Amino acid sequence: MSEHPLLELKHISKYFGNVTALEDISTKVEAGKVTCVLGDNGAGKSTFIKILSGVHQPSAGDYLMNGSPVAFHSPRDARTSGIATVFQDLAMAPLMSVWRNFFLGVEPYRFGIAMRTAFMKQTAKEEMAKMGIDLRDVDQPVGTLSGGERQSVAIARAVYFGAKVLILDEPTSALGVKQSGVVLKYTRAAADRGLGVIFITHNPHHAYPVGDRFLLLNRGHSLGDFAKDEISREELTRLMAGGAELEQLQHELSSTR
Amino acid sequence: MTVTEAGDTTAVPPSPIRSDERITHRSPMQRWLISPEIGALIGAVIVWAFFWGNGQTFGEADTTLNWLDVAAPTGIMATAIALLMIGGEFDLSSGVMTGATAIQIGLFSKHFMGDGVNIGWAILAAFLAAAAVGWFNGFMVNKTGLPSFIITLASFFTLRGVMLVMSKRLDGKVQVADILDARGAAGFKNWIAHEWKFTEFSGRDPLFLGLVIVGVAIFTYGLLEHSFNRRDGLDTSGMALGAIGIAALVAALVGLMRTDGVGVNVVFTLVGVVGVVLTCAGVARARWQPRQRPAAGELPRAAQVRLGLGVAGVAAACLIPIPFDRGQRLPILTWTSSGIRPIIAILAAAGGIALAVRSSLPALRSRTGVGSRVRTAFFAAYTGLLVATAVVSVFQLTTVQALRAIGMILLGSGGVAMLLLARAAAGVTSKRWQLIIGVIAAASVAVMALVIRIDSGAVRFRTGMVGAMLLGAAVLLANAVLEFTMQKRTIADPAADRLGRRLQLVGGVMALAGLVIRLLFSNLSAENAAAVKAAGGAVGQNVLRQTVIWWLLVAAIGAFVLTKTKWGNWIFAVGGNQDAARAIGVPVEQVKIALFVVVSLCGALSGTLIALRYGTVQANQGTGLEFEYIIAAVVGGCLLTGGYGSVIGATLGAAIMAMSVIGVQTVTGWNSDGRFAFLGGVLLLAVLVNNFTRKKAQEAR
Repeated sequence: MSEHPLLELKHISKYFGNVTALEDISTKVEAGKVTCVLGDNGAGKSTFIKILSGVHQPSAGDYLMNGSPVAFHSPRDARTSGIATVFQDLAMAPLMSVWRNFFLGVEPYRFGIAMRTAFMKQTAKEEMAKMGIDLRDVDQPVGTLSGGERQSVAIARAVYFGAKVLILDEPTSALGVKQSGVVLKYTRAAADRGLGVIFITHNPHHAYPVGDRFLLLNRGHSLGDFAKDEISREELTRLMAGGAELEQLQHELSSTR
Repeated sequence: MTVTEAGDTTAVPPSPIRSDERITHRSPMQRWLISPEIGALIGAVIVWAFFWGNGQTFGEADTTLNWLDVAAPTGIMATAIALLMIGGEFDLSSGVMTGATAIQIGLFSKHFMGDGVNIGWAILAAFLAAAAVGWFNGFMVNKTGLPSFIITLASFFTLRGVMLVMSKRLDGKVQVADILDARGAAGFKNWIAHEWKFTEFSGRDPLFLGLVIVGVAIFTYGLLEHSFNRRDGLDTSGMALGAIGIAALVAALVGLMRTDGVGVNVVFTLVGVVGVVLTCAGVARARWQPRQRPAAGELPRAAQVRLGLGVAGVAAACLIPIPFDRGQRLPILTWTSSGIRPIIAILAAAGGIALAVRSSLPALRSRTGVGSRVRTAFFAAYTGLLVATAVVSVFQLTTVQALRAIGMILLGSGGVAMLLLARAAAGVTSKRWQLIIGVIAAASVAVMALVIRIDSGAVRFRTGMVGAMLLGAAVLLANAVLEFTMQKRTIADPAADRLGRRLQLVGGVMALAGLVIRLLFSNLSAENAAAVKAAGGAVGQNVLRQTVIWWLLVAAIGAFVLTKTKWGNWIFAVGGNQDAARAIGVPVEQVKIALFVVVSLCGALSGTLIALRYGTVQANQGTGLEFEYIIAAVVGGCLLTGGYGSVIGATLGAAIMAMSVIGVQTVTGWNSDGRFAFLGGVLLLAVLVNNFTRKKAQEAR
């Protein structure tokens, strides 16, 4: 393993005109480790992912990959460098078949004339099987899959295309308890296969079991960047819930009774 | 969100690949039935059969070439519009684009630099201008994020205005004429708008029948390869049995073709039945593993009801010809005696009132105020009046002959559908009842074919129709026998699947080639030629225009791009989920601009062909056609919201529209404007079918 982390962000800031979306954020992602980014709505999580995945460029700060600075101008750039993002809406067209979605944007060709459809179908099926999901028919529209299965298609796709870093944007937010567990298991499995995983969530109970490092965001600022042994579940939950703010709220609620 | 999904229970840590026994359960037929173009295909067959059955000329080569010629410009555009719609956008300027191109070619070739240029330059300039308009449409849609409806509506009006002003100013009229007098026009016409004239082909019918029958047989065998477990080696006794069956089949076919008497036909039909059964049993025995003899089971209640309804429907279809006179072309209302007419109206009104009252029963029960009763009474009276008016109008418009035909079609197809439903319901509990009902269904179709054979006066109609129905009966019978005797395959067998797919393709292509030969060539006997001439048709004037070739070429390229290239993948993705497509790196803006440019270029192609074909272009040429393109695409299964659809469907949609135009004119004798009413019905029906199949597609998981 190299001495440099897979990804390192140093003092990243992002401004949209007069609005400060992110201010002085630093963290790192190591191979085989899960870095959790926690924050409430409006904390800047989305902006953070978009910078990581190349949709936005940081206004200030350094974005290092294997120790050398990089600048991505499009999601494609980031993806060719091995940074795959599984967006909240899973970046899938619901009426498109599983195999078409699986290879969307990176379609394999034969003689530069036609797509290798048979290969594509078979690969999609095999890769899903590796995730433990047995698809009845890769021709079925993605919209007919369950939430957890869809999430797995997205993760399987990223892993298959040689991602070194996997960014998961709130993968559990729309899922039931059981399916969230399934996705957490895949997240851990992806890290165990040597990927660096960035797991974005607002749920500390989902983050703590899988995470090795926790970055907490609040209103565009960092509340801290902790390794797992530096922070307890209770502390994480308290910070996440807004700590003092929540106590204040509790006080207000009780006084209005 | 449901928590107990199938995915969770199987979702244990990464497991080795194993084949799933559920995979083969979705039969290829089922998969085919939920494809987007199925509604259009059914529609095309029904529309064609409707006009073909009703007219003397519709099935003949000249009429076919005629509607192909009408379909071609629409079809070229429908391909492009389908791609655009799948990509989630519309182009309202596409209709006017065709006219604008034609006008521009005319004006350029006549007036550019004073006395015009070679038409080749004019065409090139028109294509470049069209590409620019398309690029502008796409650019504006991308840049503003406004609905393409608005952007292209602006282009539509701009183009229309420019066309009118330019043609008035330069040519002094609201039309541009004498385009074919321009320099180079004759050469270009010969090159890209060629007309081929061809004559009769006496070997047409045997070739057509042979190709279709062999094609259907190969196709069916391909389906079977998907469905059953192969046995080790081949069973010789089965092969011998199959050979005898095939010999009987061939004998029956030759006999049916050579003779034309009711008695002989019945005999040969029976020989054919024996042939089908022997062939199926023999081939199945030689190739696949038989199942254990299934135990006799109960016939479920639902199946009993459907069986009864089905048999009743088929019987009614067979009996309906008796009370009505075949040759009676009077409207039903005129035909009925004057005493009965008020009764018809009153019955219809009563039916409407009953419907209305029934639908408002819950309201009446829950709120018994005077107000709601008055409202219901008004509602009922109004509905009764509407239904009575509708029934009387339909009876005034429909002839006795048509009523008879429609009654037979509806009752017959409804009855057979009921029987098939009964068969499906019976199959759950009893394989034996499934076989029996399957045989009843096949027999029903065969009996109805014989009824048509006895009843129909037109030789041409009855040979074709009876042939098709007997073929259908044979397939039903074969299916029933095979399902009973053979074990359904439950394990994956890629080799068999591949073979099955290839055979289906080969069989389909053969049958299609047979149909094309049947439709494109004429083979008139002296008797038929006289009948066609008497009905006002032309004999021996078959003209195939190159427009049709362009259409098929554009459609083929469009279908290939959509299904087999990354651009097609991107189009689906852009229409289905634009943000997702962008996030994953699909160049959304480029795809959209490309789509708009393709639409405009197809418009330019269409316009060029119009200019070279007629030589005269009205300044409002193409206005309003954009809706026809959209209808063709929607009939063909494209979703208005994007992300789903098919080019083949849109091609069939264009064919349906052209058949309606020609058919309404030549067959029903209505004013050709009647096609709009017809098209409205076709559109609604096709959309309903598409909607239904898409729901099925979503369910079939």
